[in-house]
Amino acid sequence: MFKYILKRLTYFIPTLVIISLITFGLSKITPGDPVKLALGNKDNGGDAGQAQEKMANEKAYYEKAENLGLNLPTFYFGLGTVAEPDTMYKIVKRSDRETLEDLTSQYGNWDLIQSYFYQIKKIELSLFDIQTDSTVFENMKEIKQKLNLLYLTSDDFDINNNLNSLLKNSVNNDKLASLHAAFLELQKSYNDVKINATPSKNYIPSIKWHGIKNQYHRWLLGDSPWFFGEEEPGQVKGFLRGDFGNSYLDGRPIASKLADAIPWTLMMNFISIIIGYLISIPMGVFSAVNKGNAKDRISTIFLFILNSLPSFWIATMLVTFITTDEYGMNWFPTYGVGEVDSDMGFGEVFGIRAYHLILPVFCLTYGGIAYLSRQMRAGMLNTLGQDFIRTARAKGNTEKTVIWKHAFRNSLIPIITIFSSIFPAIIAGSFVIEFIFSIPGMGKLSLEALTARDFPMIFTVMMLSAILTLIGNLVADLMYSIVDPRISYDK
Amino acid sequence: MSTTQNNKSLDQSYWAIVKRQFQKNRVAVWSLRMVYVIVFIGLFADFLANDKPIYCKVNGESYFPILKSYGVALGLTKYPPEFSNVNWQEISYESVIRTVIPYSPQNMDLKNKDYKSPFDDQEVESTRWRHFMGTDNLGRDVLAGMIHGTRTAMLVGIISMSLSVIIGIFMGALSGYYGDHGLQMSRIRFWLNIIFGLLGVYYAFGIRGYHLSQALANHLGFFLLQLLLSLIILFSFIAIANVLAHFLKQISFLGKKIDVPVDILISRLIEVKVSIPTMLLILSIVAVMKSPSILMVMVIIGLTSWTGIAKYTRAELLKVRSLEFIQAAQSLGYGEWRTIFKHALPNSLSSVLVSIAFGVAGAILLESSLSFLGIGMKPEDVTWGSMLSSARGYFKAWWLAIFPGMAIFITVTIFNLLGEGLTDAMDPRQKK
Repeated sequence: MFKYILKRLTYFIPTLVIISLITFGLSKITPGDPVKLALGNKDNGGDAGQAQEKMANEKAYYEKAENLGLNLPTFYFGLGTVAEPDTMYKIVKRSDRETLEDLTSQYGNWDLIQSYFYQIKKIELSLFDIQTDSTVFENMKEIKQKLNLLYLTSDDFDINNNLNSLLKNSVNNDKLASLHAAFLELQKSYNDVKINATPSKNYIPSIKWHGIKNQYHRWLLGDSPWFFGEEEPGQVKGFLRGDFGNSYLDGRPIASKLADAIPWTLMMNFISIIIGYLISIPMGVFSAVNKGNAKDRISTIFLFILNSLPSFWIATMLVTFITTDEYGMNWFPTYGVGEVDSDMGFGEVFGIRAYHLILPVFCLTYGGIAYLSRQMRAGMLNTLGQDFIRTARAKGNTEKTVIWKHAFRNSLIPIITIFSSIFPAIIAGSFVIEFIFSIPGMGKLSLEALTARDFPMIFTVMMLSAILTLIGNLVADLMYSIVDPRISYDK
Repeated sequence: MSTTQNNKSLDQSYWAIVKRQFQKNRVAVWSLRMVYVIVFIGLFADFLANDKPIYCKVNGESYFPILKSYGVALGLTKYPPEFSNVNWQEISYESVIRTVIPYSPQNMDLKNKDYKSPFDDQEVESTRWRHFMGTDNLGRDVLAGMIHGTRTAMLVGIISMSLSVIIGIFMGALSGYYGDHGLQMSRIRFWLNIIFGLLGVYYAFGIRGYHLSQALANHLGFFLLQLLLSLIILFSFIAIANVLAHFLKQISFLGKKIDVPVDILISRLIEVKVSIPTMLLILSIVAVMKSPSILMVMVIIGLTSWTGIAKYTRAELLKVRSLEFIQAAQSLGYGEWRTIFKHALPNSLSSVLVSIAFGVAGAILLESSLSFLGIGMKPEDVTWGSMLSSARGYFKAWWLAIFPGMAIFITVTIFNLLGEGLTDAMDPRQKK
């Protein structure tokens, strides 16, 4: 048995590696700039008033990026083209890097593109030295705007448009004469890029080896020493050592956010599964024993309908009709888990929580009851048709003994294994129910993370649920062999 | 037994028996009829609820605005100047034939905004213009939304299921038929295919990534053209690999046969997919998209729900491949693809058919809960899920809570019943 478990555990490794690659890959192709998200989405590149302020913003950006490890290469190796430089990853700012990459894949001459891009940056900084007064205010506004657009566009038509507009706004103006010259220079260097284009370079692949100092490695295994040596500031332990990082949304450690959310989801799912089993097992047995008569048919139809009722519809209906005064049935709280004070006794807290959780737990449970009962009925019917039941009856056992002592135990196998599905359910939560009732559990947490593209959080939820699903499957298989000794994995 | 003996002329083929069994099941037959109704409503939603008239006569000229709107959507024609940017309901027509519900789901009836109940006094000209299922906060007609929501549900069923059926059957058939030792190829062919496949992906999608994304941003037609070009590049690379392999395998070292462990690879893939909760996976893929839409959500549902069908197909093919008629086909020298698709697969289709019926129900449920959460929805989109979620804004609006949810429930139930009916009809123990 031990050998079997060990073998299964080694099978987990490739699966988990693939899942970690998928989640990591998803996070890399997500639109939006993670550094900006972590900085609170302030637009720092835009219309900053002073040169100093702009520099400070830029510095904050780079520090944050370094902090998050985003100045590292993405993966152990990179597949690129000869046209791209080895150090493309060092351009941390996502919008800049995308523009540069697009320009490179059009023209393929990195040096000229780079100097063109530096020129934009230089001109932008020189803008702060120009004394603006009312005569050039409008022009300057236009110039700043177009210059910012140049950072973002790689389309030939757009670039030419912006350049022309820059030139038009600075022409015939003594105060902007130096700018005009700079713009002419910029236009020249852009034309250089186009004239000396070597797009053929893009067709020669090149593999770049980055080593273990990369973002994926840092996230999964960390960059602080594993066994000896002190952790330096700025180093992280990595996912495998329990360091899930900080949320981009509020900067809180993910572990602490999980610790707040998991108990709610755990409790709700646990209660709902216990209730589900308590109701559905007798119900399944009952309808299997009475197979074919009116009671069975009614309960089958009832369970079928219950199974098809979308839980988010029932939840919406319950919230609409019995939690408000609109229909005179304000019986339950509409959402949340209730306010409790620290000086309340256990009974009081329990009362408030239970009152708030009745509806969500009901919505989680009824579908499960339908499913479990149908499984139980099928399992029981299957067992009742077997030879040893006939033998038990022939021995003269009472019907009660036959059903509960002989058949019942043997028909439990299929539904015991369903119990193992509770593990992944805890991590993923039940998105819709928690969303409707505003329960601060895992479902709501992941939903918030997903809409805000808070990828450290999504990583963690995905990886944890994958690990738990795999463990759940293993537990289910082991339970099979415990319940049914005929099943053995040691061969 | 007696019926079969009495009707010797009855067709005794497998599908004929299944069909007869199915027709004996009243519930299943009725749910099939309901499916036809849903498909009908979905197909002709534009002709059932629309602010444009079906036929109208203005200034002595006849128009068919709904048909015209298809042409405009496809970019083939343009509206005549008197119809561009008009409120279709306020034009004075000489004669007009309107749809049953004279509203589009997006139409905002300003006189009846802020949740008009079906039983309220509505400010409408006549019963013809009544909102029979009420309106929402913007004055949009709920019944029109219900009708057009049927189309979304139908599309979910068709698009996601056809994707997952194609992928699922393909994957399941490969892994079930070949197993780990069934697919053999020469060493050189194996490695050349991998290397050239990667190179092909690199040239077709890596380098052309910029062009593809530009085309996607500009025009769908350009994008499809560019995509076709990329696919041609990819396939020509693979073709080159196979041609090369054909010659190089003459060298005995390179020509040595090796097993391709198809089953292990595909089973691993399924395991990876199954270990991520579907909802979480779909939500994170949607989070990656720049501008998600309902259509994208449908495609994603399809791409993430093929594992069930793959598992069934694999299990069935494992059973079928050792049967005599497959060995007969193989010994007759039929090609492997012909054996799989003409002989092995049709005999394992029944369980796939059942899982399609349940799969459609699951996909519709999944899509409506996603649009309930507002995932992939644009503000102007109206689906059952989005209407249901708008009930949460105003508890007095019971009609918004009841009708769309009822539609989801009925549709899901119908497909579940259909699945049950098919299961029963195909169960050999039920044969009478």
